[in-house]
Amino acid sequence: MPSLPDYSTAEEPQLVNWAKGGDLQSFEELVSRYRDRAYARAFSIMRNEDLAVDLSQNAWVKAWQRLAQFHGEASFPTWLNRIVTNLCLDELRRRKRARMDSIEEIEEATGPVENRMEIQEVDPMERLNREELRERIDAAMAKLSDNHRTVLVLYEYEQIEYKHIAEKMGTSIGTVMSRLFYARKKMAALLGETLKRDGLIE
Amino acid sequence: MNENEIQLKVQALVDGELTGREAEALQQRINDDAKLQHLHAKLTQMRGLIADSELPRPLPESRDFYWNKIAETIEHEKRAGERAAPPTPASRWLLRWLAPVAGVSALVLLLTLQQPTAPDLGITLNSDHELEMSDDEIDVMTYNSDDDSMSIVWLDYSMDIQRDYMELWLD
Repeated sequence: MPSLPDYSTAEEPQLVNWAKGGDLQSFEELVSRYRDRAYARAFSIMRNEDLAVDLSQNAWVKAWQRLAQFHGEASFPTWLNRIVTNLCLDELRRRKRARMDSIEEIEEATGPVENRMEIQEVDPMERLNREELRERIDAAMAKLSDNHRTVLVLYEYEQIEYKHIAEKMGTSIGTVMSRLFYARKKMAALLGETLKRDGLIE
Repeated sequence: MNENEIQLKVQALVDGELTGREAEALQQRINDDAKLQHLHAKLTQMRGLIADSELPRPLPESRDFYWNKIAETIEHEKRAGERAAPPTPASRWLLRWLAPVAGVSALVLLLTLQQPTAPDLGITLNSDHELEMSDDEIDVMTYNSDDDSMSIVWLDYSMDIQRDYMELWLD
């Protein structure tokens, strides 16, 4: 009788192959290895624990159903995080349909407010270590509107080109560029505020 | 280009979205403009800050609880998929070809059964139905030519007979 594979020490491509063959235990091992990453990506976009848990779980179900489409062009967690991102975008679209545009989006559309904003003089790298900085960046991201945060996540974390972001978000490249610009300005301003509050800059 | 457009172009340059001549021309413009140099520097700084800044975030649920829901959903959707399974290739082939073939066969059979009797206008079926032809059931087309001193009359009753037979047969 053949012995059971040792899932915990198996390489990722091997686990994926077993899972493609219908081995749910190898898929469970993949979940165990990458569940935090999937959850973190969902949280980065949605900023809500429960939603992030639900959406990341849905992403794992979709990944299982679409395993045959994974050919290893990207790593498995990268592929999985794209599914997470797409589900988050779907959820944001559903929610957006049910509510009015935020004030930020109205400001963005009107233009002059955006144009009057100046990028803050922030050089936090000199005063904070990387972890402290990440926490501040994370807190600032939480204050962005869904659209601005999403475009930042897609560009900075997923490293997706403008035109593909536009396709994913169902908008024009010009709007993507505008949202990205506004999001970065806002981030600079928010980081400047927090550093000032903490007495790290004057 | 207005101010907003040039700002977005500078950002596109920072993001590596501009190439070739467009990038070179913009770079030249930035070199000649202190305000654009400042914008370029700040956008580059922000890009460096945000990229790779995603916080690692542990799941707020236990491993088993998280996995169990995934496994249950996979199993549930598998069962639902099996219940609503599309036809197998063999049954799809049958559905695709058998239905039209059966229809055509029935039609051919019907026409075959009625053709030998169609020319006899007083046809009696095996029940007590009887078909009677009347003038208004016959399609008539007449061709008259004074030059040729000729008249040709076409009488076409075949379709009426077939229709009537079909109605009787269906009754």
